[in-house]
Amino acid sequence: MPPSRSLFPFRPTFRPTSTSQLPQTCLLRKTFTPTSVSTLPHKPAPFSSSSKLLARKGKGDKSDPRITSIRYHLSHALTPRPLRLSRLRALRHWTIHRAWQLHRSKQRAAAELSLEKQYASMRAACEALRLIDENGMTGRNVGRLYRAAMDKTGVWDGVPIEYARCQTDFPAREGWNHGWTR
Amino acid sequence: MALRELRSKAASTLWRDLRPCVSSARPNGLRHASSNPLDDLESSSSLSAPPPSNDIIKSWDPVVRTRSRKTQLPPSRYQFRSPKFYRGPLHPHQPPPPSDPSSRLFQPGPFSLPRLEQTYESTIAPDLLTMTYAHTPPGWVKPPKAQRLREWVGDSPYFKNRPLRGPRGGAHLRLLTPPRNFRTIPKLTGVTVHSMVPAAQDDSAYMHVAGMIIQAITNVRVTTHRARKSVASWGLRDKKFVSVTAKLEREDVYHFLGKLVDVVLPRIKEWKGVKGTSGDSSGNITFGLEPDVVAFFPEIEVNYDVYPPKMIPGCHITIHSTATNDRDARLLLQSIGIPFYGKMVN
Repeated sequence: MPPSRSLFPFRPTFRPTSTSQLPQTCLLRKTFTPTSVSTLPHKPAPFSSSSKLLARKGKGDKSDPRITSIRYHLSHALTPRPLRLSRLRALRHWTIHRAWQLHRSKQRAAAELSLEKQYASMRAACEALRLIDENGMTGRNVGRLYRAAMDKTGVWDGVPIEYARCQTDFPAREGWNHGWTR
Repeated sequence: MALRELRSKAASTLWRDLRPCVSSARPNGLRHASSNPLDDLESSSSLSAPPPSNDIIKSWDPVVRTRSRKTQLPPSRYQFRSPKFYRGPLHPHQPPPPSDPSSRLFQPGPFSLPRLEQTYESTIAPDLLTMTYAHTPPGWVKPPKAQRLREWVGDSPYFKNRPLRGPRGGAHLRLLTPPRNFRTIPKLTGVTVHSMVPAAQDDSAYMHVAGMIIQAITNVRVTTHRARKSVASWGLRDKKFVSVTAKLEREDVYHFLGKLVDVVLPRIKEWKGVKGTSGDSSGNITFGLEPDVVAFFPEIEVNYDVYPPKMIPGCHITIHSTATNDRDARLLLQSIGIPFYGKMVN
């Protein structure tokens, strides 16, 4: 497979840009020649004198080009090599990395704090409901609100499917087509 | 092919360009895991220093300087490599923490903030907490439960020093469900996509196509598995490659589930949902997709001609969560948008 356009984004990683800036008298200077051009294949004599079509007739060409290309791309992943950083670049990288970790831990702490606040307020509300009887509740009202708050009927039956909509920047006004029939 | 040539060429040309100009008494790039990297940091910026004077610029001859040097300068590459094997806590060479970029376990990222993750954090988690909150008055103590691993009680002399009996109703200890609070809300931890391709035993093309497809839809490199033993009724032969697996973590999970719920599952005809009996009672729920459903994934659909249609595999998808029972896991998946049908088994 010839080098195609798909290799293009990886070239700047490997290609040195300063070749032209080297002095012409530099001893180390070498011309850039691809290996495939410099090593021309030596063509051996054919094993059999029967023509190619006849020789292939019995087997048939079974190789699907799609499978061939899938095999090629499975074994030739376009993953660039891992970063190799010089000392100061590594330190810069490390500094930015620490800052990013710090930022993420702050975000995580903020999310957990908001959940904790919610939990604490729910707990305080339920506690108030539990102790509300001391304020003169009588008869069937004793513990009624607390019982209703603790009722878990239907909670484990799941949530309606309309609930599961990912948040978007611009949600549709009518997000769920309730009138849909087959 | 071209890349390989490029690499060797680039190495030689880079080496040619390398002109180290800093020499130091101690070897460059040497850093122990225990040393503080802050010590390497310069206290002042090099930008604030004045440029060299004209005399220095005039008298500076790098060629002469290089020729007069007896040996080659050490490279300025950052050469710390984490040890390959952990040699115990007393070994002087300790690996850095996984959050350190030089660690072998380091994973960069996240590089994106999936919609599903944002929705989970802003909506689903608070709602799950509200729904499943159970109030316990202050000072309430949980009544003690019976011993989970029972002792052998009887007159037999063989009961002495015998290992404890397993739990009732099963061979293994089930997970304990902690009381629900703001730290124990179930969360997605991973997805495993598994595809079994028995036809790959005769023709490896099936395995390669399956691997490519699973890799395309999950964004994760697959691992392959062999059959452990021959099973005649399933047509399995010993030690032949039969399946591929992709294990998704972190942001990949949310991207994959987002695609699955928003694009793929709504297009299945006559799909009732995931069976209510699915689940291993420790927070993992599995369901399967037919080959024609796998073809609905956007990565496959835009490139459908690339794959031989008969070789597109089905797959099993296991969703891992931190829930400790099927009930919680199912509630989490339902709130994400995966429907369940039939009898619900906890």
